[in-house]
Formats: sequence, structure tokens, C-alpha cells
Amino acid sequence: MGEPARYLYAVCRGVDPAALDGVPALGGGTVELVDVLDLQAAVSTVDLDEFGEEAMRTNLEQLPWLERTARGHDLVVQSCAAAAPTAPMRLATICLDDESVRLRLEEWYDDLVAALDRVTGREEWSVKVFAHPRAAREAEGAEPAAVGGAAYLRRKKAATEERRSVEAAAASAAEEVDSVLRGTAVAARRLRPQDPRISGHEATMLLNGAYLVDSVRSADFAKQVAELVGLHPQVSVACDGPWPPYSFATLEDR
Amino acid sequence: MTVLGEEQVYGDIALVDLLDRLLGTGVVLSGDIVISLAGIDLVQVRLHALITSVRKEMVGS
Repeated sequence: MGEPARYLYAVCRGVDPAALDGVPALGGGTVELVDVLDLQAAVSTVDLDEFGEEAMRTNLEQLPWLERTARGHDLVVQSCAAAAPTAPMRLATICLDDESVRLRLEEWYDDLVAALDRVTGREEWSVKVFAHPRAAREAEGAEPAAVGGAAYLRRKKAATEERRSVEAAAASAAEEVDSVLRGTAVAARRLRPQDPRISGHEATMLLNGAYLVDSVRSADFAKQVAELVGLHPQVSVACDGPWPPYSFATLEDR
Repeated sequence: MTVLGEEQVYGDIALVDLLDRLLGTGVVLSGDIVISLAGIDLVQVRLHALITSVRKEMVGS
């Protein structure tokens, strides 16, 4: 065993400690709350042999470790967010002890309050838009196998133009989806499109959107997504949530 | 491609979706150790870890 430290999952306001009873913590212990004024930091004890800076450089590269830690972190954040306004910390935020947790929260108090105000009564939804890989291929596939000369070139050019127009229609559908959803959401962010090598989706991701929606309007938002799916058959749309407000509990100008 | 417009399956989150949020966003407090502020681009770390693993699976199959 190395030195102990505190893993900081999230900062909450008004969470009932009972809401975290039985929630498994990273490091094998329990989730505890450190109070700072009206805020609470959700923490657990971890070992610096595993979560120290040097160890983490290695561990972050190990997929099973990364996955276990990410899912463990998310489980605690979800439990907090289900119970109270919650600003999730980035993965692997470690403080040496509770005193250091308190100092950080005091130092960032105003920004944390602003972040919590922004997400109170709201939840995050993910909407992704993909091009149909088949549409582009079929357009290209219109190209005949064995004709010669000018006819071949003409058809090849037409096929290329067709593919471009399919791509342009898909891109414009993605923009339209984003723009309509921004109308219902109180805030929106575009995350980086996922690399197909890791997402496992063959299709090109045109939009990886995160939308902060008033909880009372979640049903409207879902309905709007369903309508957009019907309006834009040239793309695929995936919607999931609600997420804790990971993409919106950010501190401004830091 | 599945359209998940109506059914929400939070229990089965894709790791990549989770990492989008846990590494790409979230509050960054300068703690005693915050590796994300230590000059490592976590997005690169994550891509490297995942791509390495995907390649291993491909080689293994």
C-alpha cells in the first residue's frame, strides 16, 4: 500500500448523504462528503500507488483500468446527480487530503456555484448524427464495370458528383438537427466527432452534440429528436441520456 | 445503425461516449495532482489506449 489520497468525483449542493449509501467507490471504500459552506465534495480514499501522477500515466493507457475507473467515476456522479445539483469533476482529480479538498472548493467557490446554478433542474442529452455509409457507396457504385473511353469518364464524373451531393445533403441535415435542438436546449456544445476506429461505427459521425435541457422539457426534446429522425432520412440519429451535466458544469474563463 | 430516439438505455453506455465526457469536459480543479493539467493531452491518451486495444483485438482474432 502506498500513501492514501482523496479522489474527487463531483461537487454537489444539498445532497443527502443517504443517497450515496452503498454506492461503490473507487479504491474499494465508501463515498464520503466533505462539506465546504453550502457545497459538498463527493470523495473516496484511493491509493497513490494506483492514482499518483506517475502511476496514472501508465494506467490511463491501460484500457481495462481506464474503463473500470471511468465507469466507477460515472456511477458515483450519477448517484450524486440523481439526488442534487452536481458539477462532475474530470476523470482522475486527486487531492492529497480533505484539507486540500476544502481549500480547492473555497478557492473555486464562486465558479462552482455558477456552474451548479447553470445545471440545476437540467440534464444533458447526447445526440449524434451519422452519414449513411451505404448512400455514399451506392452513389459511387453506380459506376459501371466495363465501358470504355468517354462514356466511362462521363459516368465516373456523374458518380462523383452524386456522391458529393449525398455528402452535402447529409452534412446539411446534421446542421439542421443541431440548430433545431439548440432551440429547445438551454445550452449546447459540439463534442469532437468520434474516431470510427474506436466508436465501432462504420458511418462518418457528422455531429456529436451535447444539449443541456430543462428536466421538465426532456419529453419535448425527445419528441423533437424523433421528428428530426423522420424529417431527415438521409442520416442516422442516435440520442441517449439523460447524462449528468458533464459537458456543462464547466468553469468559465479558466 | 440503431436509432435510440425513444428507448434510453443508460446502463449500457458505450465507453467511448463516457470518455468523451469524463476526459473532454467536466470541471477542472487544480488539485494536488490533476493529471489533465500536467501537460498530457488526455484525448490523445485515450485514443492511444483505445486504438492499441482495438488493434490487439484485431490481431488476436
